[in-house]
Amino acid sequence: MTITSATITSATDTHCPYCALQCGMRLTPAGRTVEVAPREFPTNRGGLCRKGWTAAEVLTVGDRVTRPLVRDADGDLVAATWERALAVVADGLRDVRRRHGADAVGVFGGGGLTNEKAYHLGKFARVALGTSRIDYNGRFCMSSAAAAANRALGVDRGLPFPVTDLDAASTILLLGSNPAATMPPLLSHLQGARERGGLVVVDPRRSQTAELTAEGGGTHLAPAPGTDLVLLLGLTHVVLAEGLADEAYLGERTEGLRELRLSVNAWWPERVQQVTGVPVGRIRDVARRLAAGNGVYVITGRGVEQHVDGTDTATAAINLALVLGLVGRPGSGYGTLTGQGNGQGGREHGQKCDQLPGYRSISDPAARKHMAGVWGVAADELPGPGLPAVELLASMGRPGGVRALLVHGSNVVVSAPDAGAVRAGLGGLDLLVVCDFVLSETAELADVVLPVTQWAEEEGTTTSLEGRVLRRRAAVPPPGEARSDLWVLAELARLLDAPGAWPTEPAQVFDELARASAGGPADYSGLSHRLLDTGVAAYWPCPAHVIPEPGSRVTVEGDVVGTPRLFADRFPRPGGRARLVPVTPVVREPLGQRGGQLTMITGRLLEHYQSGAQTRRVPELLAAQPRLTAELHPATASRLRLVEGDEVSVRSPRGSVRARLRLSPGMRLDTVFLPFHYAGAECTNLLTEAAVDPVSRMPEFKRTLVVVGPPDDEADQEDLP
Amino acid sequence: MNQPVRPPAPAAARPSRVVLVGYGPVGARFVEGLLPAVAAGSMTLTVLGAEAEDAYNRVLVGEYAVGRTDRQRLEITDTAAARAAGVTIRTAEAAVAVDRYRQRVRTGAGDHVPYDRLVLATGSRANVPRLGGLEGVGRVPSAPPDATGDLDRGRAVRPRGVVTLRDLRDAETVREVVGTRGRVVVLGAGVLGMEIALAVRDVGAEVSVVHTGETPMAGTLDRDGGRMLARAARRAGVEVHAHAVAESVSLRQTGSGAQFRGLVCADGTFVGGDLLLLSCGVRPRTELAEAAGLDTEFGILVEPDLRCWGDPDVFAVGDCAQVAAPGDRGPDGRVGGAPSGLLAPGWRQAEALASRLVAEAEGRSPVDRGPAPRRPHVVMVKASGVDVVAGGTVDVDPWDEAVDGAREVSQWLDPARGRYVRTVARDGVLDGFVAVGAPRAGAELTLLLERGAELPEDPGVVLRLDSAHEATVSSGPDDPAATVCWCNGVPAGTVTEAAAAGAVTVEDVGRATRAGTGCGGCRGRIAELLSCAAGAQAGTTHGHDHPDPVLAPA
Repeated sequence: MTITSATITSATDTHCPYCALQCGMRLTPAGRTVEVAPREFPTNRGGLCRKGWTAAEVLTVGDRVTRPLVRDADGDLVAATWERALAVVADGLRDVRRRHGADAVGVFGGGGLTNEKAYHLGKFARVALGTSRIDYNGRFCMSSAAAAANRALGVDRGLPFPVTDLDAASTILLLGSNPAATMPPLLSHLQGARERGGLVVVDPRRSQTAELTAEGGGTHLAPAPGTDLVLLLGLTHVVLAEGLADEAYLGERTEGLRELRLSVNAWWPERVQQVTGVPVGRIRDVARRLAAGNGVYVITGRGVEQHVDGTDTATAAINLALVLGLVGRPGSGYGTLTGQGNGQGGREHGQKCDQLPGYRSISDPAARKHMAGVWGVAADELPGPGLPAVELLASMGRPGGVRALLVHGSNVVVSAPDAGAVRAGLGGLDLLVVCDFVLSETAELADVVLPVTQWAEEEGTTTSLEGRVLRRRAAVPPPGEARSDLWVLAELARLLDAPGAWPTEPAQVFDELARASAGGPADYSGLSHRLLDTGVAAYWPCPAHVIPEPGSRVTVEGDVVGTPRLFADRFPRPGGRARLVPVTPVVREPLGQRGGQLTMITGRLLEHYQSGAQTRRVPELLAAQPRLTAELHPATASRLRLVEGDEVSVRSPRGSVRARLRLSPGMRLDTVFLPFHYAGAECTNLLTEAAVDPVSRMPEFKRTLVVVGPPDDEADQEDLP
Repeated sequence: MNQPVRPPAPAAARPSRVVLVGYGPVGARFVEGLLPAVAAGSMTLTVLGAEAEDAYNRVLVGEYAVGRTDRQRLEITDTAAARAAGVTIRTAEAAVAVDRYRQRVRTGAGDHVPYDRLVLATGSRANVPRLGGLEGVGRVPSAPPDATGDLDRGRAVRPRGVVTLRDLRDAETVREVVGTRGRVVVLGAGVLGMEIALAVRDVGAEVSVVHTGETPMAGTLDRDGGRMLARAARRAGVEVHAHAVAESVSLRQTGSGAQFRGLVCADGTFVGGDLLLLSCGVRPRTELAEAAGLDTEFGILVEPDLRCWGDPDVFAVGDCAQVAAPGDRGPDGRVGGAPSGLLAPGWRQAEALASRLVAEAEGRSPVDRGPAPRRPHVVMVKASGVDVVAGGTVDVDPWDEAVDGAREVSQWLDPARGRYVRTVARDGVLDGFVAVGAPRAGAELTLLLERGAELPEDPGVVLRLDSAHEATVSSGPDDPAATVCWCNGVPAGTVTEAAAAGAVTVEDVGRATRAGTGCGGCRGRIAELLSCAAGAQAGTTHGHDHPDPVLAPA
């Protein structure tokens, strides 16, 4: 179905384009754009944050890409026909493949793409390009929590329970997450715990969320950056040492208690205090509060996951939840707050370098056979595991590395670590193709920019942070010549003589995705656009056999299909038990703190989303947060002879950025906070290092040694390690 | 003694056979570091441990002794897993001699174990002071290294009710007395003495601490810090005898031998009890190294990379190792310094040495971390309700400018509330601190000291971390710039303006400003602002705090 203004006449129910909360929205056509209104939906309960309210403005931003752009002989991006642009891409891909092999072509996806696009992107890489080199920006988001949940619980669904379950909690341990800025409407679900004095926020800075613990709302623990793992081991130590563990649960539902006990025995609270800076008394109090029961949740966010020990840290959080007997018990649990709009679905359908749809392993012969059957190719023709994002980007232009890159829904020159090196790598490619709806900083570097549809212009599905599959619906026709990524991939597949079928209708692609996922951990086989349009609340896994026959009464609004709550009876692991994986912190030298040396942590602001490609184009949001700010404790600033509003430079061995100084007594003395939404000389990821977690390959975003000082100061780099 | 038995030969290219002497917590950590390499077959590891028990956590022995924790919690290593990985662990088999020429260790069982690399982690033993009635129960200085029993426990029969609380056997004795609410006398007020005294009291038994000098923990705390601790201990119910020099133990004869009944001090004070717990410091076990001709001073002398002076194939870690650069002798020929006696530094040493030996065994060049920075050690009292942490140089007179002009002392002393924080900085960098009753300050100062960090220009920021008002935000609720609606970034001033422009209900404000249209958590606050604004518009003389309900909009 082609969307035209004629086909859209009345209000359209859909979801917000931004975070994984996927707030319910109603869009009403208003000329070339739409008017946004919130709608009753369990995650947002009729509320929206500032980003959501202004979401429609991104549809009509001034530099919206509305025609394909191809770089000409003078090096300028100029408008071209789709035919020519696609021919340039297809020729370029063929050429690179012929000269350097299939793995010289890379694909970089995103957690904002719909399930249908994510699925087709993975299929396109493996079937049409024959490359193993595909990964996506979710590597920078969810990979550590995903790896931890997979190895401990047997499946990775961010929240294995509906968000609304949190309402009745008496205690919520929120580790490294600042939903007050990143997904504000979630706060209504934390309100119950707050009223019961049980909101425990672990964050090196007194974030807006940490501020909610004031006046009896709960407790804020501010460990030194990068010491969350040790803090979790200390909490678990106290639970075990004081006899607060749920021994019956541990005996019936877990394995590995002995090894876990040994590993946490070495982390008694006094030792934990010496590493984390969190006083012993607070550690004991929090452990006891968690053990007091009556609805307890342990929730992690990027603050504890985006580290070189992120997988182990998330594992330690799961271990704590298991020792307390929370996981799979009604009214309690463990979860991770997924960040990007389709950060959940985006990590299930084959964008990951080691993954096939349905959250299957690409190394599993049975999974390969199954997918080869769905795709109509031979199993041995499917490539094996590729390179995770950081390694994929690092390979650009290197011998044996990627020489052509297709980027969909990602702005890597802003969001990837060591962004300066990424920019250089992109410059060394033979071909860079970017599919985007605005001329992002990455698109500016491309040889070909292909204009694609966004959010309110397309049909599809996303999977929210609670594993619920949602319909995204078109409310307005796409501008100019913008086309769906599905169409782009189908055209390229045709030009490349790819085997298999390449439908462009989202509902059809979803049906194939559902078939492909059948029997996998993330099973969508019982779902279809038609079923979702009946208004059911659908949580995966939702195998075909749980869906009633067509025509039966599963059409009533509010009906639930699939699995809202996982782990009630068993864990999807051999033997059915959760695994307590003992983890040991690698002792890292504490970061220095002389001269202007500080530990930099990164994060998000309420007004901006990820690389800022969308939100920096919304005047109201940009006006509220126009440029990079560095947040510092007043005493630290005074030691460095800096005052509020000063222009400062922040430097690391990899680069330097300019920022405006903001003083905040809620900062630790040793820490500086920089949001990562800005580009150019304000791109925070120029400073971060491309060091990765050995399991998840998550980069270290939140423990970078930097030097803060006045700009253009002759301060040499000698202070740096 | 200083001459190696054999000329320092080039170290074997690959340390394929590693022998560890001592299976305490530091030894166990070293074993864990080597496990992957042993499992992979790139080296073999043999462990000789004098105790019959697997390695356990000595730091928590005190808590075990008062029954606050169980034996399971003391386990810190998986001996079965290490054996499964191929490590040979021989417990209850002491090393009694090292033949550095043939590179082999003789065991108590008479076996000879060859090595390419030898690691000594023999730890330390508790001192037994010379007291009347305890003759012969302390270490026998002349005993040979193979007489381990004599070395550790002396030759005479120790009276019942006298322990040093160094191992599980001691702990069981304490457990018995505490369990029957017996009375405990602790001799010595170092950190371990104070910890056990507070723990004994905490579980309900009577306890006295007897110590020399004016204040407890005099080696770690300054005078005020010590006084604060003594006061806290007394308030907790611990009887503290300061300035008390112990002279002898008073024993009573029972059917099963002599039994402790009290401690007699030089001034004639008698401190009665059922158990005497000697907490008079420790001494590294160096006999094996000495007999093997290795350099020792207080401990076994090792270079900063943990290699023994003069023998590149032998290393020492933990409580037995004294780190000093070779040739670092004073004019009197002695080498200053001592092992830290703390577990965390020992574990760091074990990890560093293990990763280096693994790298060598696998033919990789070890990751050069440079010499480990020498940091002052931080000592913390483990006790519920008493927060004491200190480290570095603390005993500096704030008024003594002559000592060192670059040194600054800042302090906050509040005996009534049991709070004391003192910082000593040199050239702006934290050199030492004491924190009593100030947990947040203590925790932050620990990090600053360990990193060699600069103090804030105004150290008061740290001194006041525990004060109740420190955590509150700067902007008051009446500040028009204070954010009301976080979800939409709406400040109070904007809500008030909306009210002035005619908004009457929370919904009106939402339509005008989007405040309250996110999570809804601020709707109560918006209602408050509305009613204040309504009051102001109605021209009442009431301030913001007293909105007149009669004039508020319906």
